[in-house]
Amino acid sequence: MKKLDRLDWAERLTLSAFGVRAGVRVNVSGLLPRVLPLLPPGWTKSHRVIVERLYSLVVAQGCERAGMRRLHVLYADTMTVARDAALDQVLAALETDLHRYTAEATSDMTFLHAGVVGWQGRAMVFPGRTLSGKTTLVREMLRLGATYYSDEFAVVDNFGLVHPFARPLGIREDSSYAQTKYTAERLGAASGVKPLPMGMAVICKYEAGAQWQPAPLSQGQGALELLANSFAVRSQPHQTLRRLHNLVRHSVFIKGTRGEAHEAAASILNLSCARERLETT
Amino acid sequence: MKERQSPRARVDCLSREFGNEVLVYDLQRDVGHCLNSTAAAAWKLCDGNRSPPQIARTLSRQLSTRVDEVVVLLALDQLADAHLLVEPEVPVERLSRRVALRRIGIAAAVVLPLITSIVAPTAAQTASCLHNNQPCANSAMCCSGICLPILGGRCFGG
Repeated sequence: MKKLDRLDWAERLTLSAFGVRAGVRVNVSGLLPRVLPLLPPGWTKSHRVIVERLYSLVVAQGCERAGMRRLHVLYADTMTVARDAALDQVLAALETDLHRYTAEATSDMTFLHAGVVGWQGRAMVFPGRTLSGKTTLVREMLRLGATYYSDEFAVVDNFGLVHPFARPLGIREDSSYAQTKYTAERLGAASGVKPLPMGMAVICKYEAGAQWQPAPLSQGQGALELLANSFAVRSQPHQTLRRLHNLVRHSVFIKGTRGEAHEAAASILNLSCARERLETT
Repeated sequence: MKERQSPRARVDCLSREFGNEVLVYDLQRDVGHCLNSTAAAAWKLCDGNRSPPQIARTLSRQLSTRVDEVVVLLALDQLADAHLLVEPEVPVERLSRRVALRRIGIAAAVVLPLITSIVAPTAAQTASCLHNNQPCANSAMCCSGICLPILGGRCFGG
């Protein structure tokens, strides 16, 4: 760390997000404005000097010589997080690592790996790992009129309410792994602001050609599925279990394999509406 | 082999009730379990004082229906497999699940005990991983688990 500290740092920022304090420093002036949109939604500047994690972004400077590539390097404390000739890739790694660290380290909230939309005053949650098709389903829900909350995290408070983590959606186009970022507004949808109670959780994964025939899941089984997607269950089991308990109180769960997102999305919204009607009669 | 003695539920686990199911988190093994209504009711009665026949009788009273002792033995076997009971000092006789189901018959009056388990993920497992050709510093960061040392580190596959 001392070696890194000795470098000439041009700009630095201390931020606080969900009670987690982190610092970012860069060795080139004018780079921080590119970092700001990558910070966790709702972050604020902090004036504290001590941070829990310090990111050091060393941008390669000077001309390239023949046979030698200059790489930009990102460190989290003393650990190398990314090393690349493309600065965009290194900035993307900063975003991923900072969000992941926030999800893991915060004790203010419980982070679940899930896509979330708001629908008729309730949160609809799609837990799942990478490549399970969360973002595609969220995007389809937005097209049908849902409000955007997140394509990556369901953020749950002590009362079991789901808060927005409305970072731009990372959409993989043309079956490639590379993601293009879209804000909800650019997709013609609104972003949620208010925390919502969860109305439905949909556990599904994509399989080409599959027909969407979901089966109901009990609350306990559903809670177990959410537990399997929670970031800090090992480090904060008491809080995680308590918040999950509050989260699932008024929720229904369905599980299945889906084919194309538009079919599943329409069916899910129909189910949700039917449930709403049942509850009001 | 001795007959199953009075089983005792482990008390060093976290548990929460979800309707008549119970979610149990094993702090030692970092495993979550969902006990269905019958397994949960049996687990709660494992106080170290009741034998399986006594648990069956108490369950019958609680559920207002006859609960066969075989159902209790099946629940105890599953609870033991899930490490939710204090290990007995002497090995106990295990009931084959097939034999149990045959003895219970297809017209069992209660829901058969069922325990679903998952290993709690680490934060890294939960998070999105890096995909093919994305920059990486080590293999753990890649979905494929392969970080090639080219161009300063790139994920291969995944």
